[in-house]
Amino acid sequence: MAAVLEVRDIVQEYPGVRALKGVSLEFHPGTVKGLVGENGAGKSTLIRILGGIEQPVRGDVFVRQDRKVLRNSSDAQAAGISVVSQEFRLVPQLSIADNVFLGHELGTGGVINKRRTHELTAGLLDQLGLDLDPRRTVSSLTVGDRQMVEIARALSRDFDVLIMDEPTAALNGAEITRLHEIVQRLASQGKAIVYVSHHLDEIFDICDDVAVLRDGELIAEATIASLDEAQLVEHMLGRKPQHYERASTTAPSSEVRLLVRDLEIPGVRNPVNLSVAAGEIVGLAGLVGSGRTEITRSLFGDLPALSGQVSVDGKAVRPRSSREAIRSGIFMLSEDRKSEGILPHLDVTENAMVSRARGHLPTLQKSVPVRKDEGAAFERLRQQMRIRVPHGRQLIGNLSGGNQQKVLLGRALLSGCSVLLLNEPTRGVDVGAKVDIYQLIRELADAGVAVVVSSSDAPELAAIVDRCLVYFAGDQVAELHGPNVTEDNIVTASVGQVAEEDHHE
Amino acid sequence: MNESIVAPQGVEDLVADERQRSAERAQRADNRRRILQNAGIGIPFLLVLVAGFVAVPNFASSSNVANMLVNAAILAIVGYGMTLVIAVRGIDLSVGSAQALAACIAAATVNAWGPLAGVVAGIGVGALLGLFNGLVVTQLRVPGFIATLATMSVFRGAVLLFTGGAPIMIASTAFKSAATAKFLAIPVPFWIAAVIGAAAVFALSSMRFGKHVVAVGGSPESAVDSGIKVKRIELLAYLIAGAAAGTAGVLLASQLGVVNGSISAGLELQAIAIVVLGGTSMAGGQPRIAGTFVAALLLSMINSGLNLLNVPSFYQYVALGVLLIFALSVDGAQRAAVSRMMKGSK
Repeated sequence: MAAVLEVRDIVQEYPGVRALKGVSLEFHPGTVKGLVGENGAGKSTLIRILGGIEQPVRGDVFVRQDRKVLRNSSDAQAAGISVVSQEFRLVPQLSIADNVFLGHELGTGGVINKRRTHELTAGLLDQLGLDLDPRRTVSSLTVGDRQMVEIARALSRDFDVLIMDEPTAALNGAEITRLHEIVQRLASQGKAIVYVSHHLDEIFDICDDVAVLRDGELIAEATIASLDEAQLVEHMLGRKPQHYERASTTAPSSEVRLLVRDLEIPGVRNPVNLSVAAGEIVGLAGLVGSGRTEITRSLFGDLPALSGQVSVDGKAVRPRSSREAIRSGIFMLSEDRKSEGILPHLDVTENAMVSRARGHLPTLQKSVPVRKDEGAAFERLRQQMRIRVPHGRQLIGNLSGGNQQKVLLGRALLSGCSVLLLNEPTRGVDVGAKVDIYQLIRELADAGVAVVVSSSDAPELAAIVDRCLVYFAGDQVAELHGPNVTEDNIVTASVGQVAEEDHHE
Repeated sequence: MNESIVAPQGVEDLVADERQRSAERAQRADNRRRILQNAGIGIPFLLVLVAGFVAVPNFASSSNVANMLVNAAILAIVGYGMTLVIAVRGIDLSVGSAQALAACIAAATVNAWGPLAGVVAGIGVGALLGLFNGLVVTQLRVPGFIATLATMSVFRGAVLLFTGGAPIMIASTAFKSAATAKFLAIPVPFWIAAVIGAAAVFALSSMRFGKHVVAVGGSPESAVDSGIKVKRIELLAYLIAGAAAGTAGVLLASQLGVVNGSISAGLELQAIAIVVLGGTSMAGGQPRIAGTFVAALLLSMINSGLNLLNVPSFYQYVALGVLLIFALSVDGAQRAAVSRMMKGSK
């Protein structure tokens, strides 16, 4: 059968990065094509190009054999391509129905037919098994429901190709099952589906064939039946899945550095209890909206707690602002490195030194940054952290995600913190740098820092943490220890499911 | 397999529960927002109304009431346009100058070609000036604040050049009587403001354009991804703001009978004050035409009351500034309250 959508030799470049290096793919009606790859492999870039949001530097898009230039999202929609994006693209002030039909409103002469809009929206929500009033404003919905509305929105358009970018990241078990049914029904109606997911079991469950991207290149394309999970992972990584070796050299000491008692946090249902020892890495797992982000933000004083106690090294602290938190020895790296982490117009040295503990420095260095002194400090850091920069004057904005993250870890190290909170430490970091960062986190822990890692990446948690707390909708639903910290256990617990008995290796 | 996984009490329950709680939270947040919005405008309105009746001599006389209604109408029409611009995260500081230019050109046109031509000219000039603002913002990518700060000066210069600094007397009595004419005992300008306001409410709540305005102001990225032509919506908002200023300028010319190049100075501050006081958020995506209308009445009552009490006009500037700060702080408090609500604290 002829391809309904085809890309030929697509190249996309961002400043300093080649995100896609000539990718060619065909999408056929009635098939579900899985698109997999590590973070930064180019999946999202490809999707943004197909959605008309970005224009490729080179290469062509063909819709039913006709070459098309997709200048914006209306072009893509007109060509029959509907996208469920990973970030929420809903207008919080509008109702569900208005959001679903935003940009292609029903009605004549500019006047909206509200009744029909509501009816059709209710129908779509019903199809998705969602019992919601279409008149409710989107700002009042849970994260999972917003994701479903996003999907309803994609379905409301006439489309031949439906692109779903990690649609299940914020859904629970029952919702995922329902979504899979819908995907397969759509495929049987002759739609072409592009399904992006990090969960390989999903790919094996619903996809007919799979395309693997790595570092902007198409590595493999095959029917799903011809692959097994190990082969797929090998394609994704470009090598045998080599697990980061958990250095179990030093057992965490019994010296508790961070102790949290009955901390009531806005947005988290039950009071939080947590204790992290020196040298221990504790993971916080859970879907978006599960409450783990609130916990780290609250400990860092960003979201003041309502009641309860926090103590660092036995000293009670009450972080009401980030500044106080840093003073009391708590440091956090945000998940949004670009806007809350790096200072893009400063160089790497200044970025690393900005939170430096100055208490023990000579008087001069206490009050003013001394270039020579900071340069030397950065040089030490660069070697210790294996930061790949030509010199300390390099602007941080031009570095890769992994190197930026290393500089920020250096910042945390120099702040002299006792407790380090990390949010999505390897988001947007390439595979090679990932292992480096894991090692650095381990080294920080071995140096006696209590580390809390909050991540949506289950394999990552499985690789580095000693103990993992799993949250679901504001509840701690599981606490995994030692050998039980596996990807499968984390994933099953974080979608609110009981762990299954059969557990393939 | 292992005992360390605690079985949750059924996924469906947890999800249903979470959904229930979020719905309640949303309801509470909504209520609080509504209370703050309505209280922010309602309480001052009632206080000033009562104070006016009790403490200000001649406040309730029919001529003063008519005068207040006409002033409020002229201000409200400018406010509608400003509401739209603020709803798409813009601002229009040039409304005063645009209104002056529209009023003066309208006056000259009335004298040359008659009242009807004057009306068309006034509104047309306003729309053109708004179009110019919109083009500067969307095509030259100058931020709205700076763009309209600049055109405020440009338009003011243009009107002073046009009039040569001299006042223009309007000869047509028919034109001049329009502002004072009454229909069902209520001044015609007030009817016009009410009808335009109703049309604006309809356009915002029930028309494609209104949804797009909310989308562009509420979440520009979503608007782009939905295939909305964001720049076109912004351009239209500025154009409508200009046309509104022009329409109000025609009414002003009719009310005054004599116009000059320096009328309507400081109007932008009044317009922004009534828009924000009326509950339109400076953060965008939340236009409230009805609030703007009520706030225009409020401001008109305050001005009239202070005039009748023979308070020097300098104090009126102070009052306006204080009112604007009050309005913005209510806007800020409302947003903070809602976001606290959404995050689930009590």
